[in-house]
Amino acid sequence: MATSPPSTHSVGVSVPRTDGTAKVTGSARYIDDLPGMPGEIFGRTLRSTVPRGVLRGIRLDPSFDWSDVTVVEARDIPVNAILMISEEQPVLAEGKILHAYEPVALIACPDRLKLDRAARAITLDIEPLPAILDIDTALAGKDVIWGEDNVFKRYLITKGRGDAEGRAASEAGIDAALAACDVVVSGRYETHHQEQLYIEPQGFVAFWDDAGVHVTGSLQCPYYVHKVLKRALDLSSERVHVTQAVTGGGFGGKEEYPSIIALHAALLARKSRRPVRMIYDRTEDIEATTKRHPAIVEITTGCDRDGTLRALKARILMDGGAYMTLTPVVLSRGTLHAAGAYRWQDAFIESVAVATNTPPNGAFRGFGAPQTIWAIERHMDRIARAIGKDPVALRAQNLLRSGDTTATGQTLGLSVGGHACLEAALAESGYHEKRAAGPAVNGRVARGIGASVFMHGAGFTGSGERMLKGKVAIDLLPGGRLQIRTASTDIGQGTETVFRQIAADAAGIPVTHVDFAVPSTTVVPDSGPTVASRTVMVVGAIVEGASREIAERVLAEQAAGGGSFTEAGDRLLSREREVSCLKVYEPPSFIQWDDTTYKGDAYPCFAWACDIAEVEVDLDTFEVTVKNFWSATDVGKAIHPVMCKGQIEGGTLQAIGWALCEEVVWKEGLIKNPRMTNYIIPTSLDAPPFHTTLIEEPWPYGPGGGAKGIGELPMDGGAPALAAAIEHATGLIADSLPMTPERLHTLARTA
Amino acid sequence: MKISFKVNGAARELDAPPLQRLLDALRLVLGLTGTKEGCAEGECGACTVLLDGEPVNACLVPVGQCQGREITTVEGLGAAGHLSPLQRCFIDHGGAQCGICTPGVLISAEHLLRRNPDPDDDAIREALAGNLCRCTGYQRIIESVRAAAVLRRADARDVGDPRDVGDARGARDVSHDRQEAP
Amino acid sequence: MSVSDLRLFEMRRPADLPDVCAVLAERVSRSEPTVLLAGGTDWLVEQETRPAFAKEAALPLVLDVSRLPALRGITLDGDRLRIGAAATYLDMRRDPAVLARAPMLERMGRDIGAIQIQARGTLGGNLATASPAADGVTALAAYDATLVVHSVRGERRIPFASLQTAYKRSTRAADEVIVAVEIDLPPAGSPWIWRKVGTRRAQSISKVALAGVAVREGDRLTRLGLGMASVAPVTALLSRVRTLATSRPLRDLTAADIDAAVDADVSPIDDIRSTRDYRAHCARSVVRAFLRDLGAPV
Repeated sequence: MATSPPSTHSVGVSVPRTDGTAKVTGSARYIDDLPGMPGEIFGRTLRSTVPRGVLRGIRLDPSFDWSDVTVVEARDIPVNAILMISEEQPVLAEGKILHAYEPVALIACPDRLKLDRAARAITLDIEPLPAILDIDTALAGKDVIWGEDNVFKRYLITKGRGDAEGRAASEAGIDAALAACDVVVSGRYETHHQEQLYIEPQGFVAFWDDAGVHVTGSLQCPYYVHKVLKRALDLSSERVHVTQAVTGGGFGGKEEYPSIIALHAALLARKSRRPVRMIYDRTEDIEATTKRHPAIVEITTGCDRDGTLRALKARILMDGGAYMTLTPVVLSRGTLHAAGAYRWQDAFIESVAVATNTPPNGAFRGFGAPQTIWAIERHMDRIARAIGKDPVALRAQNLLRSGDTTATGQTLGLSVGGHACLEAALAESGYHEKRAAGPAVNGRVARGIGASVFMHGAGFTGSGERMLKGKVAIDLLPGGRLQIRTASTDIGQGTETVFRQIAADAAGIPVTHVDFAVPSTTVVPDSGPTVASRTVMVVGAIVEGASREIAERVLAEQAAGGGSFTEAGDRLLSREREVSCLKVYEPPSFIQWDDTTYKGDAYPCFAWACDIAEVEVDLDTFEVTVKNFWSATDVGKAIHPVMCKGQIEGGTLQAIGWALCEEVVWKEGLIKNPRMTNYIIPTSLDAPPFHTTLIEEPWPYGPGGGAKGIGELPMDGGAPALAAAIEHATGLIADSLPMTPERLHTLARTA
Repeated sequence: MKISFKVNGAARELDAPPLQRLLDALRLVLGLTGTKEGCAEGECGACTVLLDGEPVNACLVPVGQCQGREITTVEGLGAAGHLSPLQRCFIDHGGAQCGICTPGVLISAEHLLRRNPDPDDDAIREALAGNLCRCTGYQRIIESVRAAAVLRRADARDVGDPRDVGDARGARDVSHDRQEAP
Repeated sequence: MSVSDLRLFEMRRPADLPDVCAVLAERVSRSEPTVLLAGGTDWLVEQETRPAFAKEAALPLVLDVSRLPALRGITLDGDRLRIGAAATYLDMRRDPAVLARAPMLERMGRDIGAIQIQARGTLGGNLATASPAADGVTALAAYDATLVVHSVRGERRIPFASLQTAYKRSTRAADEVIVAVEIDLPPAGSPWIWRKVGTRRAQSISKVALAGVAVREGDRLTRLGLGMASVAPVTALLSRVRTLATSRPLRDLTAADIDAAVDADVSPIDDIRSTRDYRAHCARSVVRAFLRDLGAPV
């Protein structure tokens, strides 16, 4: 075990967040708050207006004065490729257009009005082609836009009788297992795009000097940007400098996309030889940046008449958009969560992600899991209906416990809090009483209650952390202080504060004695990306280990030479000049994962939760009001209970928005509602009172006495809990999202 | 157009195009970057400031309409070392996460508490409905405002300074959407 | 979006109403575009979300009327309520006369955007923009309000029923300034409804909204005013429903008759906010709900 009892107690205490004062006084500098640099000019992107076509050329109006306008085209780019998992996505389109809003050219100018006019003086000569705009057309493969068959990636997970050599034999095995079951239930579930809609639009400032290129921006993962710039600009590592500005929300939307803006700004700065500021307006941000992958999930299950689950067969289809970006990883996480939080003897879960002529979909809190958890949780309700059992009793009966194995064959050991969450949420919400009383109808309004139970893997999948080798540096500073250097960013979730708490307790110093270095690739090591519910659990563990090592050196000095911790530290510093610890993450040694068979320990551990939604449905207009929302979440250990609850509530409201009102409206590959006035997220009047319970089943390898990752988990359970509550209130069974009043009305009419 | 107005209590004068957004005048001309831009169409509320004491979206106010008027931005609520009760409570109760909506939320909350020193949750939710937050789910924001209301009332008692609380009509029952015939 | 060319616009602050009328008359006679600006909650959004002008074309002159005394103020004279065209929704929500005698206006005002929009938006602006989705205009339709407009030719009064002609078109002349609206109020305590079906509970544009005021004597309605947003190219007055519901005792109204009248009165469409079917359904539901509250057995 990596932990020992803390000698001070900032962990578990909701200390004032360390960036709080700057944020409440308006002095925190987000990217567009940075003062203009001398000679700075403004950059802008010109984009395709069709979803697919042939780019014949770019025409500049000869009557326009181009003297102070910089224009960058594909030919100006050293290597026209964005390096993610693959590198088929160009920085600027060359020859072919694969999605609407695809960047084609870049312009920059000192005057914003002239910049706007210059954009109108450029004509993109694009010959439109018929576009593939949905999963079914892509799968049919009659027209191919990616690879040989439009397929980005496939996975297959098998267990029990699904285990066999080859896909066909596996499928025959699961079909046989299903055929032997008392009750077989099938369903099809759909989910839609979702926009992250962080309130701060994306943006960067870029400039070049003798040291190379410098970019500062709103971002989650400095080293992702670093990698992309290095490749496309053909630079050595040390000539690329990426710095995070205070970042106004990310939710995955600032995971991979910022690399593209940084690159665009850097290219304009390179050609113009001036600093370039490139800030997206809201419409451009919604149109161009990534969204949550839409998915279709087909599930067939077999169970005993008493509800004991036996066999699961699932097929997952995801729409990746026009380029691969992170789609294989999103599909992987979705596939790994498709079995839900339940025991299955036999399983066969296959998944496919395809290419369409829509803007690339990407990272968004939950990363594929909300889609498949929506499906399995709705399916659990369907089974309950089929066998006439209470949906919560069915869940409790089959919910994984310590000692059980998951669909990938992972045997769960410590920190398995599903049952504790379920019991706490049921008790807090009065679920059983309300459920038993039936839907409460008052005039034309019906009230109902529904539940979901779910788990979410924390950290990178399987051997991911072992390959990633995340690093953190801790420095001893004069005055008995420590400095944390990490590439894990604070994008609002509280990384700065929580890391300080962990470091302070590990070193036995007050939290106010810990500094947090601005994440800049020039000074911080690569801790891995700020994604995947890994920051507290994985990177926090490195912070804890490295802080303890530094503290041990100071304590040894103290033992040898006396004096206070501060005095001993200062002596050490004066002697050695630099006292630092660069530590690499060591995952627990027992984790075994096979990337080819998709078997083994998919995640070091899971966070668990039960969500319970209470809704009122207007029976005339089908408007849904969420009256109350209970959530009990096993977080391992809450380092900062207030921020931990804030994460859960904020993630849950995103799930509520996804479920009830958020919808990207498409027409022929274009987004019809790229504004805050028509992409509808919940306001304070739409949000329910949240009743959040933290359950602590410590994960012994987590920092601070057992913290697990919970960043994504709260996105998973909201939609199915709401669907169950709506069903309880009205009898309407929604298997597709979003559950807008219009769709519920259609359901009621066709019921 | 020459415009003189008060910003956070100090007289300011500028020569600006009359249709320039107050938001840009504050951020680009006066350097008050605490007021944020999230949508440029009056939806998100990140640019909320007080104009003669009422909350407005600075992205929809031409600076030419501000002649002789008083503006309060987040910078006018309190600075490091002199935080207002609202600012303190937003730090203590988790009201700020990414912080981009926070300045606007604080302004709306300040306006609420000036008019209604003891708001219930419904009144708080209504007062903040023009400030979109994507991080918190609003729960901690509401708790922060509630805590600040308590603190302000205690402060007002302690210093014997009966603040201008305006009328308390904002707290009236807002649950009846229909009025039946007598 | 184009924020950048806002700097090109000229703005003037006219001294008084005659000044506005004079400037407007002169510019209209020369076909020069002119915008009267109050709260800017519609017009500025439009400016900021359109592409930049390609060149410095003939930009409209902006006349700031937001603080003209003649356009401000809310007064009650007997049963007649007069609301200045540049009074804000927030002014309305706080006005004692509105709260006492026209509570529907207060309730409607609460559903306009959120407080930041209510602090700037005005009935005059809503009427000038003439969007069929405008909540404020919908409420005025239910009150059968009268528009008071001024021009160099003097004052003219336009009954609501003869105001709107087509999508965003009205019978107000280009040189006429909206000064106020006047409402002949029903007796205090008369039943009313404001029911907005929006995209969310604040910061929302109506999918359907119903405004209604009624005067009931026994089992009959002696006055029924209705307005409905977002179901037709203009604010729907629901004239067939009005005729139906005032033509017979409430107990003789049937759901089928009401639904048929609503269907004949509205012509909703599909757009990004909602669908034709859903709007038609809501239109019927909310009208029935109001008449049910008034005593119809539906």
